[in-house]
Amino acid sequence: MDTTTGSAKSVIAVDIGSTITRVQFYDVVSGRYRFLAAGSAPTTTGAPTFDVTEGIWRALEELQYVTGRKLLSEKDGVIIPSTSDNQGVDIMVATMSAGNPISIVAVGLLDNVSLQNAQHLAQTTYGKIIAEISLNDRRTSSERINLLTSIRPDLIIITGGTNNGASHSLISIMESIGLSSYLLEENQRPHILFTGNEKLQQEAKDGLGKICKLRIAPNIQPILGKESIYPAQKEINEIYIDVRKKQTGGLSEALSWTEGQFTSTAAAFGRVIRFLSEKFEPEKGVLGVDIGSDATVLAASFNGDETLRVFPNLGVGSGSSGVLEKSSLEKIKRWLPIELSDQEISDYIYNKSAYPSSLPVEVEHLEIEMAVAKQALRIAAVHTIPGLRKQIDSGGTLMPAMEPIIGSGRILTMAPKRYQSLSILLDGLQPTGVTTFALDQNGLLPGLGAIAEINPLLTVQVVESNTLLNIGTIIAPTGNARAGTTILRVQISREDGRSFTREIKYGSLTVLPVEIGEKVSLHLRPLHRFDVGMGGPGKAGKVNAVGGAFGIIIDARGRPLQFSFDQEKNRKRNEVWRKTYQKYE
Amino acid sequence: MISKVKHIHALTSIKRERLLPVSGHVLVRRLQKVSPTDVIVVAPMAPQFILLDIAAGLNVPPSRADELLQRETGEELVQGDVIAGPVGLFKRVIRAPQPGVVKIAGEGKLLFEINSPDYELQAGMEGTITNIIPERGAIIETKGALIQGVWGNGKITYGVLQPVSNEMLQELVPEQLNIGFRGAIISAGYCSNPEVLTVAGNVPIKGLILGSMSSALVPLAKSVDYPVMVIDGFREKPMNRAAEQILIANKDKNIALNAQIYDSYTGNFPEIIISLSAVSEPELPIETETLKAGKTVIIINGPEAPQIGKIDTILSGKQILPSGIKTRVAEVSYGSEKQATIPLINLEIINE
Repeated sequence: MDTTTGSAKSVIAVDIGSTITRVQFYDVVSGRYRFLAAGSAPTTTGAPTFDVTEGIWRALEELQYVTGRKLLSEKDGVIIPSTSDNQGVDIMVATMSAGNPISIVAVGLLDNVSLQNAQHLAQTTYGKIIAEISLNDRRTSSERINLLTSIRPDLIIITGGTNNGASHSLISIMESIGLSSYLLEENQRPHILFTGNEKLQQEAKDGLGKICKLRIAPNIQPILGKESIYPAQKEINEIYIDVRKKQTGGLSEALSWTEGQFTSTAAAFGRVIRFLSEKFEPEKGVLGVDIGSDATVLAASFNGDETLRVFPNLGVGSGSSGVLEKSSLEKIKRWLPIELSDQEISDYIYNKSAYPSSLPVEVEHLEIEMAVAKQALRIAAVHTIPGLRKQIDSGGTLMPAMEPIIGSGRILTMAPKRYQSLSILLDGLQPTGVTTFALDQNGLLPGLGAIAEINPLLTVQVVESNTLLNIGTIIAPTGNARAGTTILRVQISREDGRSFTREIKYGSLTVLPVEIGEKVSLHLRPLHRFDVGMGGPGKAGKVNAVGGAFGIIIDARGRPLQFSFDQEKNRKRNEVWRKTYQKYE
Repeated sequence: MISKVKHIHALTSIKRERLLPVSGHVLVRRLQKVSPTDVIVVAPMAPQFILLDIAAGLNVPPSRADELLQRETGEELVQGDVIAGPVGLFKRVIRAPQPGVVKIAGEGKLLFEINSPDYELQAGMEGTITNIIPERGAIIETKGALIQGVWGNGKITYGVLQPVSNEMLQELVPEQLNIGFRGAIISAGYCSNPEVLTVAGNVPIKGLILGSMSSALVPLAKSVDYPVMVIDGFREKPMNRAAEQILIANKDKNIALNAQIYDSYTGNFPEIIISLSAVSEPELPIETETLKAGKTVIIINGPEAPQIGKIDTILSGKQILPSGIKTRVAEVSYGSEKQATIPLINLEIINE
């Protein structure tokens, strides 16, 4: 049955990553939208070509070769719309994460209130805060003007004041911003996003609107203690697009193919995660992680409310030296199951940053990349957890229960063994309670997020078509006990009536052999007041689960994972965990 | 598959833009010969402003302060010149705190730009100005040797090249840095000893070119006063043969060492430019080329890096690497009769 309402159109989604440009082709097969093929090529936004269209063109050439469908014409570029003889494509959408982070100045009144709101907002795009201005910084107006004219940011985010609250101090700061912008050449003036006290919107328009590229969003903190980031987040994405258009050679031509359907990869990723949260169990949040070459993105959604955090210079390619600089060699080394010298690890990470598209030839080098991915994810998770906890009105420092958790990114999808993807997600995120890990095995999610804006049916039907690989159900009890203490009894009942019971000891990692797609019922009985997400410490309950590529994994290693100062002990423990996985690979 | 070309050329045409991000005053003219230290363009890169609150200073309302202003936008003032006033019993006035220019005034305030020294952008290489970019800078062209690196500490210099030895196979050790290298740009195989960087600063040398460097030295190399450039990467391996030969051949020549920070998005690579007088007119180097059998390549990652070799054959289909990753590979011959299977993505073309 045709469920595409008769107006079916073929779609190509282009994702311009920092090292690879990917294109994906979707069309209707047997009445439903399907992902059909993909192509990729190195990204060409930077040296030596400085023309983004070249990478897109090469990726499309590969797609053309794979599908046998003519997509390109020397005369007209991409053939849009498709022709009656099945040439070309009807719609193109594009997402982009390539490029240096946009430079941002965060402005607020108080450091721990509005300035923090501005920081959170800045983290929703590929940006870097290069300066902060608040009442606490004690700068004079002249010093603020000198700062802004010398650093010449791409964007200034102005927050501060609840609606009808303080206004005088913010006006004074806006005056400095207006003067400094006036002093810059017109093409160097920053974008300004005003998202403070709504009473001052008119003053912002009068004082800044004629000088700068001003956007106004509803107050990010309309009442004290309530952060409302999403409306301003949309504006940030528009600004990101404007900045990229100005900076990226060939982007205007590429966007003429997409008829304006262009967004940041992170925003598209956030959108599809929000979309999925409405589709899956709405009472639990959906979490998506995208580990890229340069940046790591975490997107969560509870009942359609979205939390998006972008961590530039924190990735597994060009961003790998950023992981080292933002943490330490010890913290990366603690994830390694093999013995390597500090120098070998550090040298490899710096070489990978210099040659981000290069591949690890030796097993040891793949292990280093996986360790970097785990640490990047760990840093991103630790910074995102407080925001997630706030969304469900709970405190604490552990990852709240999310269902499912979806992993995206080449380090996960290219991993030769499934346990490698699983262990990156498990160690990096350290989920709690019961959840499912799914893998965006074809890297479709950002593209589907972009398509959802114009054709939500396609997104729904492609997600339903097993594009996400179920890696496994994760059960992660939390609590305190001595290593070796039995903390959980699990009874697994199969559909054919057979059942078996396992006792789980604190500190262990267990893989229960459940076939992929097999439905089982799990009866979880925690001991010693451990919490398995059944409503509180010590509470037992039943969960229905489906076996993933890795069956069911019980991670009783503790939360957060504790490490020894003795790296050899950590290495041996990693080796044990790896062997546990390898038994089931 | 298309690959980047790594620029290691004994003789090529070189064309570089030298531009400021802000408007300035270009000091060179078309077809002018320049040396690396010649200033191309000057501009106030970090102008300093003072916002004077005239109304508060004169203790009058802003509208009255505007009436009391004696200066107009663009007016140049010396220290002590009266800006506004007099007013009141004591004939209160506001004076220019330093020499400068009135930028804008109104609503009881005046923004005053203090005279500050201009930033001077130097040519950074020998060559001929072939084009002027109005208010921003110029394009310089030359013929000579070019070696591109992967890491630089952000500094730039010009001086005489002195390789530490005739082979860049060995680790550079502090004992090699004698007074004979004072004021020279030195080149060596690799470095893993932090003492080398300290001793080099004490000699003092003018610049340091390394084939490879231990990544542990990155923080120290960023902090030294002289430029440091790494050609191949971070490891303890000799310099690649092509770069080594060029550096040895140009011993005692003046070279421009631009150890700028690598940024693939802006195309800023650290590089060495050695201007040479040549009869021939070499082409500008090609930036990308297709990998195929017979091409000379440099291996950029894996145990064989940074060896230079030749592609014998590109295998069809994807192959499994020892790491387990599946990818397209080539058989590459290098050194004396050695051969290795290398992922295509780990190769860059060299047109020596």
